[in-house]
Amino acid sequence: MSASILRASALVKRVPTAEGELTILDDIHLSIDSGAQIAVVGESGSGKTTLLGILAGLDLPTSGEVWLDGEQITSMDEEQRARVRARSVGFVFQSFQLIDSLTALENVMLPLELRGDGQAKDDALEYLDRVGLAERTTHYPRQLSGGEQQRVAIARAFASRPRVLFADEPTGNLDTATGGRVADLLFDLNREAGTTLVLVTHDAALASRCGDVITLEAGRMRAPAPEPRVAAT
Amino acid sequence: MTVSLVLRFAARDWRAGELRLLLAALLLAVGAVSAISLFVDRLQRALIAESTTFLGADRTIDSSRAIPDRFRELAAGEGLATVDIISFPSMVSAASAEASQLASVKAVEAGYPLRGILRIAEEPFGDSEFTDALPALGEVWMDSRLFPALGLAVGDRVSVGYAEFTVSGVLAAEPDRGGSFFDFAPRLLMRAEDVPATRVIQPGSRISYRLQLAGDDEALGALYRSIEGELRPNYRWRNIRDANARIGRALERAESFLLLGGLLAVLLAGIAVALGANRYARRHFDHVAVLKTLGATPQEIQWGYTGVLLVVGIVGALLGLVLGALVHLGIIAAIGSYLPIELPMPGPRPVFVGLITGFICLLAFALPPLLGLRGISPMRVIRRDLGAGVGPAVTYGFAAAGSLGLLIWYSGSFFLTFWALLGAVVAGGVFATLALLLLRGGRVLGMQAGSTWRLALAGLQRRYRENVAQIMIFGIAIMLLLIMLLVRTALIDEWRAQIPERTPNHFLMNVSPDDARGVQDLLTSRTDYEDQLFPMIRGRITLVNDVGVREWRRQHRRDYYGGGERGERDDDDDDDDDGDRGGGGGPGGGGERNLTFSANLPDKNVVVDGEWWTDDADQALVSIEDDYAASRGLSVGDVLTFDVGGVPFTATVSNLRRVEWDSLQPNFFIILSPGALEGFPATYMTSFYLTPEQKPFLNELLSNYPTITVIEVDNIIAQVRSIIDRVSQAVELVLFLVLGAGILVLIASIQSSRDLRLKEHALLRALGGTRRLISGALVSEFAILGAFAGIVAVVGAEITVYALNSRVFELGTDLHPQLWVAGPLFGMLVIAAVGYLGTRKLVHSPPATVLREV
Repeated sequence: MSASILRASALVKRVPTAEGELTILDDIHLSIDSGAQIAVVGESGSGKTTLLGILAGLDLPTSGEVWLDGEQITSMDEEQRARVRARSVGFVFQSFQLIDSLTALENVMLPLELRGDGQAKDDALEYLDRVGLAERTTHYPRQLSGGEQQRVAIARAFASRPRVLFADEPTGNLDTATGGRVADLLFDLNREAGTTLVLVTHDAALASRCGDVITLEAGRMRAPAPEPRVAAT
Repeated sequence: MTVSLVLRFAARDWRAGELRLLLAALLLAVGAVSAISLFVDRLQRALIAESTTFLGADRTIDSSRAIPDRFRELAAGEGLATVDIISFPSMVSAASAEASQLASVKAVEAGYPLRGILRIAEEPFGDSEFTDALPALGEVWMDSRLFPALGLAVGDRVSVGYAEFTVSGVLAAEPDRGGSFFDFAPRLLMRAEDVPATRVIQPGSRISYRLQLAGDDEALGALYRSIEGELRPNYRWRNIRDANARIGRALERAESFLLLGGLLAVLLAGIAVALGANRYARRHFDHVAVLKTLGATPQEIQWGYTGVLLVVGIVGALLGLVLGALVHLGIIAAIGSYLPIELPMPGPRPVFVGLITGFICLLAFALPPLLGLRGISPMRVIRRDLGAGVGPAVTYGFAAAGSLGLLIWYSGSFFLTFWALLGAVVAGGVFATLALLLLRGGRVLGMQAGSTWRLALAGLQRRYRENVAQIMIFGIAIMLLLIMLLVRTALIDEWRAQIPERTPNHFLMNVSPDDARGVQDLLTSRTDYEDQLFPMIRGRITLVNDVGVREWRRQHRRDYYGGGERGERDDDDDDDDDGDRGGGGGPGGGGERNLTFSANLPDKNVVVDGEWWTDDADQALVSIEDDYAASRGLSVGDVLTFDVGGVPFTATVSNLRRVEWDSLQPNFFIILSPGALEGFPATYMTSFYLTPEQKPFLNELLSNYPTITVIEVDNIIAQVRSIIDRVSQAVELVLFLVLGAGILVLIASIQSSRDLRLKEHALLRALGGTRRLISGALVSEFAILGAFAGIVAVVGAEITVYALNSRVFELGTDLHPQLWVAGPLFGMLVIAAVGYLGTRKLVHSPPATVLREV
């Protein structure tokens, strides 16, 4: 428990809809150790993405608490949560989320620049090299293929050396072969950096590459299997 | 966020083309405003300089008493230039002959005139040229008409009082003649230093003293403030507006119009900036969400984008100033040949106005959408539907506050601002309703239309919120242009109408009854003269309803001045009125007036009370000018007793007339019915028009009838007309600048809605719509929007122009039926064209590229 880098207790998320209140997450408890690789699986609409948003501090739960890298982020305001994200969190999204108007290099530099990193350019070049895009640094996202765009996104995510990397369907927009190569890259870099990985996917093969799996069903956690690095607290 | 990071962000946005629209809008805002301000500033300075020649100075202090030395010393202390002028009527005579003539002598100091120029000729009625000299000591210059009257030629000697002078020149024009339009007597110009030798200044002489002042406005203002308390009642402070009401009004209206033009340009530019900023912000929603997931705090986002805006503001303002300077130089170069006046250098105000306008525009119109970026949820990276920036209340609130601030600051007039804002609010409500109705109506029509139009109308109907907004924006832009056009036309027409072609430019007076027929025949045969000669008889009113006239006025004064709150008006003022108004009224010394009689109501006179007499009236009747009657408490039915040369007679007031004093026709305060003045000695007067080529006719006239007096006002009329022409040109130029700003708004608005339209049409193309269908639908959509906006604009313009013309410019106003066709047609054509040009490139790109880009 002492090595837990991400912990959630009694998370509930409800949203108002035209038909009344809708419960998206219900009573989620979890604790993830530093360096672990966790997959969150479940059908569409089971609450995976909402959970990822709340764990990463992008969104707030209706009730419950989240501790990230030793800090209780659910009681923080957006300003403070942004600082935690800048320091500890990296993201890889299904739709890549690169900024169209920036080159590959500039996209990777962005988080480093936001931190005031004087070496932003060198670090970014190094990571682009590591994802195999050293030759494409001046290309814009629209000039890159889907796989290449996702590799830029991975370089961007690791360049800021996060403690926890959140990946939302990282291969969801890619064909099987490309998806496989992107996943390899993701797991390799993760292993090298010792980053904690929280991966949301409905791809069973991808999930199986993670050490542990959390299954969501209609917003509730199904009993974890196998034990023990993810434990219901 | 550090400054260098902000600069880097700004540079990347610029490279991506995200800032171009915003910068262009700002550039044009600052450019248009500073071009207008620069041009108006210089033109105003030039016009004021030109107009001050009517006074021969920037200001004058006039009095029948000597001007105190203290005024002169204070003026010198303020750094003002001063010149003393003494004017008096005096008989002048040829030293060698018996002939003598009443002249209006003007004695001036070296330095006269402080503004404007003198023109002299070598022989009477000959060609004149300007001079900066004055008659030497011991010499005089005289009006042309004094030469035949006295039988003199240049170089002869003339006596004024006890002194003799050499006539060394013919005075053709003096700038400050306009101030005393109807100085009957011809002018004799001499040096003030020579006055004592004439010994004409005695106690009781009718002498006018004038101190001319010239210098900058600040010094003039300071002088005015320090002597203000000592002016009334003996000294009169005059500026150009007092000196010539016609030019004063033209200038005031021109200023109002230019101001209105500047104001509209600011508003249009503001709308363009708001549209540019909105588009920029909308395109940055995703960008911001990504930045936030990467750890950018809301505060960093806020300061970062404010910083980018600041960079754009600085670049836009500086480039805008350069653009403004170039545009205004271009205007001056283009019309230089039409502007015979030298434009003075501009002051610092236009630059200041341009810069501040740019920043206020940014703050009020561009900042709110960007501030909204702060609140974008980082969850948007996962769910795109999240986060839509600030609410409309904030955006409109800022824009309204900004507009209000700009308007008040820029116009310096709560009145104009009030009308502009009221117009905007009413227009906003009416426009929105109208636009909605038009869109609804359009859908019904669209059901029966071909596929292109149906598609266009369906698109319009589907995004009706955006389209109502767009119709309003197009409508406002077109409306503002129409307003400028209509007001300009009304203004210029009215100015031109004030002094129509062939306005009489010569007055003829002192025609004896024996000569009247001969003069009339000569005028008719040698010129286009068709008027009548008016008899003039000097007389005074002694009793009103058997009450002494002074007693009567004292009893009725309170009523006229609203219970006496304005205080007493001294009799001097009344005399001044008479003098200024001129016409047949003439100087009212000792209560004597020029009386006339006429069977017919003179041209440009309108009976406002009572009735004009018929030929068979059996009693003596009198018609009185309505202001004159009001100030003296006279009304229809009063019985007036007149005294002409010691012979009394009575007449009943049968009507009150409104007289157009500016008409340059002989005008009279008092007209009697034909029989009333029978047997009294009369002289006759009239006015007529001469072209410059016909001027030598005056020599013939004066040698045939040496005793008559000719007053030439052709120079004054030419001066007034040239000023009005220049003001009209300025007004038209400003119209073009506003047009430029208006077109930018149209482009900005089309740009800002381009993404949405294109995405939809790219999808349609992907689904198999032909390029022709899509292009057709887009153009039709813009054409419909344009036509609707045109309708909306015409409604708004008619209402606003009515308010402006009646409240600000004091002009008459009618509906403009041709506009009801032209407005929608103009909107349709221009917006379809601009819309087509703005989207053509993307319609011709493959749909996949379009879908990826927008």
